[in-house]
Amino acid sequence: MSEERETRLLMISPDSKLTPDQLVRNVHTMGPDVAVKETCYGCLVEGSAAEMKKLIALVRARYKNEVFTKRRGFPLGDPRRCRAQHGTRPGFAQLEAEWAELPLIQSALDSIDRGDVDTRPPVERKPLPVKGMKEICEAFR
Amino acid sequence: MKVFIDPPNSMILFDLVERFGHEPLSAMAVIQEKVDNIEVDMPPMNITLEDVIKGLKYAGVEVPSGIRGRLSVWGPMIESADAAVVIDNAPFAFGCVGCDRSNEMVKYLIKRRGIPSLTVGYPTTADEAKVMVSRIKEFLGGLKQ
Repeated sequence: MSEERETRLLMISPDSKLTPDQLVRNVHTMGPDVAVKETCYGCLVEGSAAEMKKLIALVRARYKNEVFTKRRGFPLGDPRRCRAQHGTRPGFAQLEAEWAELPLIQSALDSIDRGDVDTRPPVERKPLPVKGMKEICEAFR
Repeated sequence: MKVFIDPPNSMILFDLVERFGHEPLSAMAVIQEKVDNIEVDMPPMNITLEDVIKGLKYAGVEVPSGIRGRLSVWGPMIESADAAVVIDNAPFAFGCVGCDRSNEMVKYLIKRRGIPSLTVGYPTTADEAKVMVSRIKEFLGGLKQ
């Protein structure tokens, strides 16, 4: 894998009071050799792989479970993806769907940090049997 | 350890795997290779002959090209993975941005390789999310031993 460039996407959980502006200002102070671009959901950061590893550790130490991150294939401001240059955003639908789920993940990570771990196997959801459906219909007739 | 994540571009899984001390294998890193090194217009939408050949290793010629294209990116990642974490029934993995047949093939390839894998449900409530994250943490913690 390429070690020269690493572009990261930092996304703020909707439950956080942190704003993209605050995040960008703090990320600027954390890594001197990274480029940062503010976005509607957080920011994009670009730098060397080693620099990015240090930066992500600092971001996680400071914001714990409020900021989530993943890699991004395209560089910052790439005309094929950048909104300012009318680039397409084929991954945005999924990003938006995951953004909506972040409060659940954030609260789960907070619970685990408090020592509240729950590894029960999930309850399998079964369709309502006809008899049960009949009983409900009879009750509300 | 290298952990394959499914959906391969999931931010939640990428973040959790990295947070719990492993290296996530994601589609983004593979796409970066194509962006940086190959002169194609819009990776991964535009592909090269090499990608077609890679895809044929995992799916036959009669299989739709979208599945072969996806597997040309995801197949080598599964081959190099030491473990896998799969989110089952994620809504965005099916429909215009996903492909259910590719998801089935990915599950088959993981099973065929015989690497340790964890399948978790897509959370819709806080309790389900807690179970999901706890199980992922437990699974990834066990990989270190």
